[in-house]
Parts: sequence; C-alpha cells; structure tokens
Amino acid sequence: MASSAEPVMPGPETPVPTGQDAPLLLRLLGSPTRRRILYALLASIVLFAIGQAVRPGFASPSGIRAVLTIASFVGLVAAGQTFVILIGGIDLSVPWVLNGASILMVTSSLGSNARAIPALLLTLGMGTLVGMLNGAGIVLLGVPAVVMTLAMNGIMEGLTLGFSGGMTCAACGSYAPPVVQAAVHDSLFGIPTALLLWLVVIVLVSVVLSMTTFGRRTYAIGNSPRASFLAGVDVTTCTIGLYALSGLFSALAGIVLVGYGGQAALGMGDPYLFQSIAAVVIGGASILGGRGNYIGSAAGAISLVTLVSVLMAMNMPEYGRSIIYGVIILVLLLLYGREDAER
Amino acid sequence: MPKLSSRPPCVIELPPEPRAVSDNRRPRWVHRLAQEAGLFLAATMLGIAVILYCVVFLIAQRHLPGGFELTSTVNSTLPLVLAAVAQTLVVLTRGIDLSVGGVIDLTNGLAAITLDGSAWGHAGQPGTGSIGTMILGSLLVLAVGGVCGLINGLLVTLGRLQPILVTLATLSIFQGIAIRVLPQPGGAVPQGYTNLLANPNWPTSVLWLVALAVMWWMFRRTRFGVGVYAIGNDAAGAAAIGVPVASVRILAYVLGGVCSGAAGLFLAATATAGDATAGNTYTLTSIVAAVLGGVSLFGGRGSGIGAIFGAFVSSMIVNILFFAHIDPLYQSFYEGVFLIAAVVLVGGIGHLLRRRY
Amino acid sequence: MAELDGVQAEPAIEGRGLSRSYGGVHALNDASMSAVAGEVHALVGENGAGKSTLIKILGGRTRADTGTVSVGGREVKFAGPDAAHRLGVWTVFQELTLLPWMSVAENLMIGREPRSRLGLIDRRGMERRAEDTLAALGAEHIDPLALVEDIPLSQRQTVEIVRAISYEPDILFLDEPTSSLVEREVVWLFGQIRRLRDRGTALVFTSHRWNEIRDIADRITVFRSGRNVGTFKELPEDDAVTLMTGRRLEALYPQRPPPPPAVPALALKSYNARGVRDVSLELRKGEILGLGGLAGHGHRELFFSLFGAEKMIAGTVEVGGKAVRIRNPREAMRHGIALVPEDRKTEGLLLAMSVRDNATLAVLRRLARFSILRHVRERQLAQGLIDRLRVRTPGLSNPVGALSGGNQQKVLLGRWLLAEPNIFLLYDVTRGVDVATKHEIYELIMRLAKEGRAIMLYSSDAEELAHLSHRVLVMREGRIAAELSGAELDAEIIVSAAVRDRIAT
Repeated sequence: MASSAEPVMPGPETPVPTGQDAPLLLRLLGSPTRRRILYALLASIVLFAIGQAVRPGFASPSGIRAVLTIASFVGLVAAGQTFVILIGGIDLSVPWVLNGASILMVTSSLGSNARAIPALLLTLGMGTLVGMLNGAGIVLLGVPAVVMTLAMNGIMEGLTLGFSGGMTCAACGSYAPPVVQAAVHDSLFGIPTALLLWLVVIVLVSVVLSMTTFGRRTYAIGNSPRASFLAGVDVTTCTIGLYALSGLFSALAGIVLVGYGGQAALGMGDPYLFQSIAAVVIGGASILGGRGNYIGSAAGAISLVTLVSVLMAMNMPEYGRSIIYGVIILVLLLLYGREDAER
Repeated sequence: MPKLSSRPPCVIELPPEPRAVSDNRRPRWVHRLAQEAGLFLAATMLGIAVILYCVVFLIAQRHLPGGFELTSTVNSTLPLVLAAVAQTLVVLTRGIDLSVGGVIDLTNGLAAITLDGSAWGHAGQPGTGSIGTMILGSLLVLAVGGVCGLINGLLVTLGRLQPILVTLATLSIFQGIAIRVLPQPGGAVPQGYTNLLANPNWPTSVLWLVALAVMWWMFRRTRFGVGVYAIGNDAAGAAAIGVPVASVRILAYVLGGVCSGAAGLFLAATATAGDATAGNTYTLTSIVAAVLGGVSLFGGRGSGIGAIFGAFVSSMIVNILFFAHIDPLYQSFYEGVFLIAAVVLVGGIGHLLRRRY
Repeated sequence: MAELDGVQAEPAIEGRGLSRSYGGVHALNDASMSAVAGEVHALVGENGAGKSTLIKILGGRTRADTGTVSVGGREVKFAGPDAAHRLGVWTVFQELTLLPWMSVAENLMIGREPRSRLGLIDRRGMERRAEDTLAALGAEHIDPLALVEDIPLSQRQTVEIVRAISYEPDILFLDEPTSSLVEREVVWLFGQIRRLRDRGTALVFTSHRWNEIRDIADRITVFRSGRNVGTFKELPEDDAVTLMTGRRLEALYPQRPPPPPAVPALALKSYNARGVRDVSLELRKGEILGLGGLAGHGHRELFFSLFGAEKMIAGTVEVGGKAVRIRNPREAMRHGIALVPEDRKTEGLLLAMSVRDNATLAVLRRLARFSILRHVRERQLAQGLIDRLRVRTPGLSNPVGALSGGNQQKVLLGRWLLAEPNIFLLYDVTRGVDVATKHEIYELIMRLAKEGRAIMLYSSDAEELAHLSHRVLVMREGRIAAELSGAELDAEIIVSAAVRDRIAT
C-alpha cells in the first residue's frame, strides 16, 4: 500500500499503525480510507441479506452475479472519475462521452465482427481524445474543471445528436458486433466476462495508482499542485493524462453497455454521472483530492448498485428510491466525509 | 465610526507624502471596471448577442423583433434568471448548488397543486384558484424553497461537508419528493396567476425582472450581502474582522433556495401546469448562466446582475441558433463551445483590465 | 538586564498557563504574559517560539487547549475575534486578513458601513469615510477605491494596521507589523504606536529587528520553545539572543568555510522578472551568497523565476558558464538547481503524504524501472536520508504533517539532497524551526559549501545572513542596492541597507 493517503495530522496520542510491520488486521483497519472500503463491503453484504429476505433468490449466485455485473458498469466509469477526483477535479462529461461512445461503436461496426476491432479502437480513441481536451482546457486555459467538463458534455451531446440525426440515422439501429456482445455475456470459469474485465481493470488501476511514478505524482498533485510543481512534477501532462483516462473509461463503459444491451439509445449515459461520483466518494476518496483509491470506488459501486437493486426488489417506487439514495449518501458523508475544523 | 471623530485629532509625525496623492489614483470608473470586469463583459456579450439575434431575426422574418419577442423571451428566460441568481448566491460563498434543479422540480410541482387550492381541497374547477389560494400557495412554495436551502446550508456549515457533495445528495432527495408531490405532469395554474407572472401579451415579466435587479442592488448594500462576498474572498479573513461566517453562509443558501422556489413558480406560471422533472436541467444551466455572467466559481467575485445577463446570453444563443436555422440537434454543441470561449475570454480580459499598478 | 518583579499596575490583558498544540506539536506550552495600559510591550523570540500562537489566542482567533485569558481583570472566553473586538482587543495578524477582491474602503469599513435612510449601505459615504480615516491616520497615499489585490504588500499591511487603529482599541496586538514596511512607513507606524500608548492603549508587538524593539518597547518578554522565559525593562541584544536561543550567539553559527576561488556556478546579467529589476550577480562554486532585504522586495520572485516557477522577462542566465533558458522547475532541476521554498506547508511538502513519499518526490524517475517504482530501493534511499539528517519520525510511512516543524524542514531539505543539485536556492529555510534544528541546518549548509556546491540564501533573519554568508546582496524594490562583505557582514548594516528608502538617502 504505497499511497498512504491519510488525513492530515492524526493526533499525538493515536499511534498510526500503518507501518509495514503491523499485523494484517490492524493494517486493514489502520487508515480511514481502508476502513471505508470495509464499511462499503459490509454494507453490501447486509444489503444482500436484506434483499434475500425481501425477495428470496436475491442473494443467490445468479442474483449476485447480476448485481455485480451492473456494478461493473458503474465501476468502469468510476475508475476514470477516481483518477480525476484524486487530483481534486471532476468529470461531468461522463454521460455524453459514454453515450457518444456507445453510438459510435454501433454505427462504426454496423454489427459486423470484422469491423469490431477498428470500431473498438476508434471509440476508445474518441473517448481518450475528448478527455485530453478536457484536461487541456483545465490546465492550459485555466477553465474550472466543473465548467470545462460541463461544456464538454454539451459539446458531446450536440455532436452525438447531430451526427446521428437524433438517432434516426440508418446505422443507428445497428447492433453491437456479436463478438462484443458475446464478450460481455459469456462466462469464464462461471464468472461473467464483464466481471472479469472489471477485475482486470481493478488490478491495473490499483497497480498504476500505488506502484508507478504516475500514480505517485497523481496523489502528489491532489495533495498540492503547487508543491508538486515545485518538486518537478509535470502537472500539465499528468492532468491531461488523467482526464484522458477518464474519457477512456467512459468510452469503455459505453462499449460494454452496448455489448450488454445489444443496441445504443439516447440518454443511456445519464445515470452514470451521479453514480460514478457517489461511488468514488462512498469509497473514501476526498472530493478535494489527494486521498482515496480505486478499490474503494469499486466497493462504493458495488454497495450503491446493491442498494438500488434491493430498493427495486422491495418494489419501492421511484421517488422513494431517489430519496433513500440521497439520504444514505448524506448519512455516509456525515459519518466520515467531514472536514477538520480549523480553530 | 463616530468613535474616531470624538477623539482628539491624531498627531501625525510625518509630513504628508509629497509624491502622488491624487495623480497616482485611477478614476472611479476604472476601479469599478476592474472590480466588476465580469459584469461588464457579460453586458458586452449580451449586447453582441442581442445584435446578432436582431440580424438573424431580420434575415429570417424580414422585420426586426418587437415587443412580442421581448415579452416571450423574458417570460421563457425568467425561471433561468432566478435559478442563476440562486446559484450565484451560493457560488459567491465559494460553494456550488447542484440541488437547484431538484428544488425547482419540487416547487414547480408544488405550485401546480397549491396555487389553485387543489392541495387543500379547494372547491371549484381546477385552475381557478382565488386570490387567497394564489398568495398562500406562492408563499408556501417560496418557504419550501427556503427550507430546502436551509437544509443544504446546515449540512454544509454545521455538518462541515463539501457543498458539491451535499447538494448532489439533496438533489436526489428533492427530486424524489417532487415526484411524490406530483407523480404525473399536470395540475393547473390559474390563468390570473399566469397573467400576473408571465403574461404573454403584456410585459409583466419585465417588471419582475427589474424588481429582481433592484433587489440584488439592495442585497449588495446590506451587511449580509457584504458578508456573502467577504466569505467568498477569504472565510478566515472575514471571521477575523467579525463577519458571522456560519450564519451568513446558511442564510445565503436559504436565500438561494427561495430564489429557486421563485424559479419554480415562474416555470409553473409560464407552462400553466406543473411537471416534477421540468426543473432538472436548471442545475447545469444555472451554473452556465452564472459563469457566463462573470461569477467566479472560486467565490467572492461576480454579481447577480451579471448572472441575469448570463441567463439572457444563454437564451439568446438558443434564439440565434434557431433563427440562423442551425439544426437544433447541434444546440448543446454550440452552447458548450460558447461557454468555454466565454470563460476563457472573461478570464483573459479580466486579467488585462486588472494589471497591477 | 533588569528583570521585573511583580506587576506594578493591573494588567489590561493577561494570559496565564496557555498551551496549544497542532497535530502533536506544542506551539505554546504553559506560556503566560500580560500587558498594562499605556505600555508598549515587545514579544521577542525565534520563529516558532510561540509568539504568533499567543497573539492568536489573546486576539480571539484561536482557542487555547488549556489556560486562561483575562481582560481588565475579568476572565474571558473569546468565541471569536469579534468577541475580542467587543472588549476593545484588536489584532493585526501576521498573515493579512484583508479581503483581496474587495476595495480598500470596503475592507476598512466592513461591519460599520454608513447607511442611508433606507438602511442600505451608502457606498459613496463609505468611500468618503474610508478616505477620511486614511487621511486622519496619515495614510492618505492609499487609494480607498483600489482593490486590495492590486495594491503593493506594504500598502496592504498599512491598511490592515489602519483598520485596527481606527477602532481606537484599548489593547492592540501587532504581529510583525513591520515585516514588509519600508523605513518611512515604520516611522509612521511608530508615531501611531506612541500616540495610542499616550492615550492609554496597551500595545503588544513582535518584531525581528532589534533596533525597533530598542527604540519603542517599554518592556520585553522573551519566548523560547512555546514558553515565556522572562520579562525585562532593559535587555541588551546579546543577552536576548542567548535567552531566545538557549545558547551563545557565536555557538549557534558554525565556522564558515574560507571563501572559495572564483569559479562561477551561476551568473545573472541584467536579469529581469516580475518584481526583479536589472539584477546582475555571480554565484561561485562553494560560495554561500546571502540575499537580504525586506519581504516583498523581489527576493521571492528572483528565486522562483530562476527555478522556472515564474516567468523570466529579460537578461541572461549562465549555469556553469553556459547560457541556459529555464522555463519550468524540471528544466531547472536538469541544470542542477534546487529551490527550497519558504512556505513548506503549501509550497514544499505534501502534508498528508508519507515521509517517504515526500523525500523521494524529486527523484522518482531515478527510482523507477519502466515507470514501476522499485519499492525496496525507494525505502532504502529514504531511510538512509532519514538517518543521515536525524529526522525524528515514528516511521517512513507516517504522514509528514505529523512531524514537528524542524523535522518537516529536514525532510524537505532532504528531498533536494537526494536530487544532488549543484546550486541550492534556499528561501528562508529556518523560518519556524527550533534552534537545535537550525544549528543542524547551518552545519548542513556549510557542508554543502565545502563540497563545492553553490548556495544562494535568503533569510528574513539578518543575523543569520551575517553569520552564514560569504557575501550579502541587499535587495530593495527589485534591485540590488548594496553588496556587503568582510567586516560589513553585520546584521545592523544589512537591515539599515534594506530599509533606507529613497527619501531618507
């Protein structure tokens, strides 16, 4: 665990058992970030239990698999969101980058396996490029991240609607290439490939964040861009790279979603903005940057999606879900998202 | 400062500095320009937008826009204007309010069932409320908006949570309550009420607009208003000079909530009915309008008047695109491009205007 | 050295047994002090001795962990600065509290703006009132309509002082009020201080300039390591230094290596940056070149632009005899330049990150293979550094923010030692550091100089400059105003070269 992203200054009396030599359990509970991951996972288990009580079969292997698969979509978007939130940024362009990517995927592949690879590369390249533009606007033009990514969301919405003629184009109704659909739906050793993909992403992102120079610099920028700059960190390139990753993951989520659903639709990216941010925050990252990790976001995504699924299983009407959703996030924030009082 | 004058005159040990007492000073208007760079740029942008609008309108319609266009533009923009002012109040304290859309959803839905008294079993045709139900309904709606703001403010201040997270969560809550209040689009707003707030034939909405601007002007000249700006400048510095930071911040959220509530009322009046999801878009558009109006997302700089301009700039952009026969599907694209360009421009010109002595 | 016994008059304000710690570090430890009406009471002590914390507590800005504060003999608990204001206690804090994007007038009149009949603030009236206040207090050269952000640092400081004085306080704390004032403004301030004293105000101020303290203080209280160690009517400077640092003046500063031969490491010709005008200088290998002068006179800009963190406007920079262009810190590092900034909390360290992360941040590339960090090597490197510099930390993975100021500074210096630069730009690196660590840092500087590395050193402490440097350049208004060497290396001479403004010459 290299990031060692503790909150500022624990008190003198509380020894911080983060030393490499501390017992495993203590190390697991040592940092608040890690504690939150544990809470999030515990919450998911409790929720599955409630779900099982409400509707038997909810916590059956297939039920769990279904919930986790949906969580993986949120998790993919949350990967990108984690990267930018770690430097105190935010990516509001997720909905239409995702939606644009899904439509680009079907229209460029036209449902043929032969075109699947170029379409895949094109779509991922598009997401990355959009992310780079986000980063460049923020770090080179000095546009606040909220404004830049918000505007980019509009730009992507306009372009997507415009090019697809509002989803009336001939190619818009195409299906995702069968290989892509199969890749999402198939199972390997009884585990859906969508989940395996997520597992790979979890490992990769965690390695990048905790074991590479890039990851170290990301945390450094999140803690203090100024101090990092003065220590020779290339803040500009790093920032652009991080937003590019966010764009890439949004596009990837878009591809997986069309693979899952078969076809693209307008508005399919909308739920993922709120959920991705919520997952990252529930997973213990600080919205101000410098603290958190992707395991947390993944745990956040699982508990969030489980919560929604349980509420649906309880036949909770939409308004109730919406209210409970908000209240639970508030409660979690009040439990551990507070800033330290300065006085 | 009566205390100072009652004391004996100060002994000044040094002769007044010979150099540059008055010649070094810039004239008042230069200072105003420097301080309100964003506002002036927003006004300029609006001017350009209006001229462009007139040109494309003239080409498309063979005559210049007149009173009808003015009234309908103001009618349709007023909800956004109010939402932008609500957003500005919060942003000035170095916060952000993502729940604006949720509050408008809720208050809009509420307006549709209270203004005609149907919520408390008022007899008679739907949409024919009495003066009493209209006044009572309006006050209730505004109060609910204020309570929403109060919840946000308390969570931010006493809960010590980041505004962006608090309002993200309350957005979901308010949206949920809104759907509970008005599950289907509907309800009815009395015709008289629409005529009063957003009369299609007579520019009542312009009067409301002027009233809002005057209210902002007054707000800026209250201790509370100064406090809001002071917090956005530097909360610790404001506290050190005695600004009651917590209560000013809470009050700013409450007032923002009331403004969002008013936006919900005007939205209902314009649409003559309610829709518990009609407010959703206002979260983002209110931020856009405030930013176009020169309000700094880092707090402390900008004004509600600027936000009003910003709201009209965004609606002008839509109008221009419409009359320029640009495919409406591309509308968001141009809005996004304009937003970035405007922010870069405001930043760049503001920087030039405010070069140090 | 005449220590006082007992108090002659009822103290106007008194703090007793005050303690306060930040993140495990005691800023103030059972400290007491009092001030009586009609006196000017100087607090002296090194940076980090607790003076500022004491003033923050007595001024109502910070709460003490333990101890009591009483005003006029009555014990009080300040809920905030405004509670202190109501009792006539005003403070000019060291870090300015002016609101940057508001006008001078708004800043002066906030909370007491004149109002029209409607109850609204009368802005014209407020601006007139501000103008009158500035004029009445002898600061009419400041434009009340200007934005605070747009006026120079010395004027900002003046506005801050004017604001406090205009309330005609009964008790006034001034924390380093002269740190960015030029001589004329210092004279103005002392005139105001005397006037307030004569009408019965109790004034408490801190300063690093001994001649100021000698000129105006009626009593002097010495602080060391968060505690008051004595209050005096008369106190010769040498004794004060001994009291403040716990050791004799000579013992604090190690022997300087002999002046090196003239092999240039860094040369500037007609160098210009924002706030730096036409600076030409040569820094030799193995030389410790001191830069003196008041805060806000271009040192910071010189250091930061040399390091590529700010824009250079004109002139030439030669490193090791070759002309170079440095556009960002990475390029500076490639040319073997390191900058240790003044504010380690915001510009140096990543407080929430671990000691190891902070130590190796500047050499990450060297520690990585295919950008994967080599964990073991990183640990070894960091551990070696911690041992070498004797950093007191529970472990490498503890957040650096939990260490004491001195140990934090060692980690920051260590980061740059790992980078092995040839030129060190040290910007006020002993600020807020305890004496023992100071001594270690001085020895480190000497060692680096002996190894042949070039060191450019800015310090707000003239004594330090005088004792460490081979030569001292004094900067004023962005230019080099004086070069001092040999027998001129004396704190008094450095300060007087720094504050002499154009009118006085």
